Amino acid sequence: MSGELRLTGLTRVHGRGRPPALDGLDLAVPAGSCVAVLGPSGSGKSTVLRLTAGLDEPTRGSVHLDGRDLAGVPPERRGVAMVFQRPLLFPHLSARDNVAYADRVRGAPRRRARARAAEFLDLVGLAGLGDRAPRELSSGQEQRVALARALAAEPRVLLLDEPFSALDAPLREEMHELLVDLRARLAPTVLLVTHDPAEAAALADTVAVLEAGRLQQHGPVAELHARPASLSVSRLLGGRTEVPGQVRAGVHHSPLGALALPGPVADGPGVLVVRPEAVALAAGHADVTGTVVRVRYRGLRPLVTVDAGGVAVHAELTPGDDVVAGAVVGLRLPVAARHVVPVRPG
Amino acid sequence: MGLIGRRAAARPGRAVLATRLGRAVLAAWLVLPLVPLLLWAVADRWSAPAVLPQELGTDGLRDALAAGGPAALARSTALGAAVAVLATPLGALAARALVVHRVPRPGAVLAVLLSPLVLPPFAVALGLDVLLLRLRVPATAGVVLLLTVAALPYTTIVLRAALAAQDRGFEEEARTLGATPWQVLRGVQVPLLAPALAGAAFLAFLVGWSDYVVTLLVGGGRLVTLPLLIGSAASATGNEAQVAVLSLTAVLPPLALLALVGVPGRRARGGRR
Repeated sequence: MSGELRLTGLTRVHGRGRPPALDGLDLAVPAGSCVAVLGPSGSGKSTVLRLTAGLDEPTRGSVHLDGRDLAGVPPERRGVAMVFQRPLLFPHLSARDNVAYADRVRGAPRRRARARAAEFLDLVGLAGLGDRAPRELSSGQEQRVALARALAAEPRVLLLDEPFSALDAPLREEMHELLVDLRARLAPTVLLVTHDPAEAAALADTVAVLEAGRLQQHGPVAELHARPASLSVSRLLGGRTEVPGQVRAGVHHSPLGALALPGPVADGPGVLVVRPEAVALAAGHADVTGTVVRVRYRGLRPLVTVDAGGVAVHAELTPGDDVVAGAVVGLRLPVAARHVVPVRPG
Repeated sequence: MGLIGRRAAARPGRAVLATRLGRAVLAAWLVLPLVPLLLWAVADRWSAPAVLPQELGTDGLRDALAAGGPAALARSTALGAAVAVLATPLGALAARALVVHRVPRPGAVLAVLLSPLVLPPFAVALGLDVLLLRLRVPATAGVVLLLTVAALPYTTIVLRAALAAQDRGFEEEARTLGATPWQVLRGVQVPLLAPALAGAAFLAFLVGWSDYVVTLLVGGGRLVTLPLLIGSAASATGNEAQVAVLSLTAVLPPLALLALVGVPGRRARGGRR
């Protein structure tokens, strides 16, 4: 049930004179993989799914599924299924008949469609709840039914449009686990849209960052974290430290001092970025010394902002690293974690 | 009933009392006119000064049967049903065009659709009667046609509101699950709209059921429905009992229908959280 999806030059302009919602997107989703499209609201990420599903027509560009051009193919004949942020369970059907819907509209006898629906409900951990009406389900259960309903359609590509955003944190964790399990069992091709970098990291093999309708960067999560192509990608993935300076002979010069870079970087102006979780308190030699200006906590981990010569350096320390505001601390910025983003002209 | 509701029930506040009083007045307003009607229907003799009928009996019923009440009842039912069957889908189409497809100048289109509400039916019926006669449209078909147009504003308004409130996501979800537009209409949209469709059909039925002017003028007196029969009976004197029986016959079926229509409506509303 997994197909290979390829988007080429996909462009959508909603109205004359308006900037394109999506601008020349090239994206490949290999069979059985999960690609997350990550972007802030209004970045055009939902448009990607609507064009793929055939709910909107692209202004330019094409959608290929297993090599076949889907231009002009109506949504019901594309072999894709979509799960929206709202569960959208048909209120006049039971949970089981919702899941059986795809089989029913394709002409399967009711008994067989229901038997298969029961299997899919079992798969999402809702065995025995088939007779419930949608209004009798919790929001987490509703979204599980929606997922089962989409899977029961046996799509070649499963499209997930922020499917877990409306759920509270523990439920979202549960759904992430469920999706990881389902991927291990069924290996569907998944195109996921989300604004949450943690969700993208938890679920996807590769992440495509979209901003203002344009693809900024596409790669494995680790690569996006370690080597963001732009400041906006860095920020979207939770990067906070940004140090403007000059690169000369593989060394970044800034108010923080001269910091050697891990790989070859062209000379010229560049912004040094270091992820907060890579920064640690220095036991001996410190790369940077500064004054703690703010401490807050994520769980047990202190999130510290250090003012070093007028530059803010953000660090996510390990539990037990007790620092207080006003203290002078030395920080280690591991060479491998240093990355320079070129300054775009203009 | 929530906490607040229970507290209010235990010690009715002023607002609650006012609400109850309002409801009682409203109920009296609706029910009181039926009381003399009920009394007249079973009164064989009820002369002026007496508060209650002096003699009870079934003369009214007998006269109503003799005057062709059952046939008129059947004709009214058929007329109401025909108008409902035509005006409901037409209203649904108009509503969908207004809500979904963004017709050019929707305000003007809506104004045209609502115009039957504004124009005096007598003038419309008289004018169109001439046209229908010239076109040799059979009288009964002409009545159905005109009343369907008269019912369109009601069905359009009801269905437009329901469609506007409906989440288009249901339709899109069904399409990606493999349903053709026709299957979406049958399996998703119509069931979701069922309460509104029932309400619209009920209103359209009432337009046909209760019409007098169009049926009289365009029907040329050949289509004798309940309102026509009541009108002719009431214009004569001395047969109040018959008029009362016929009037009750005209009032009770819509009430029964209303109860029927109200049931799916409530069930669907209960489904929303």
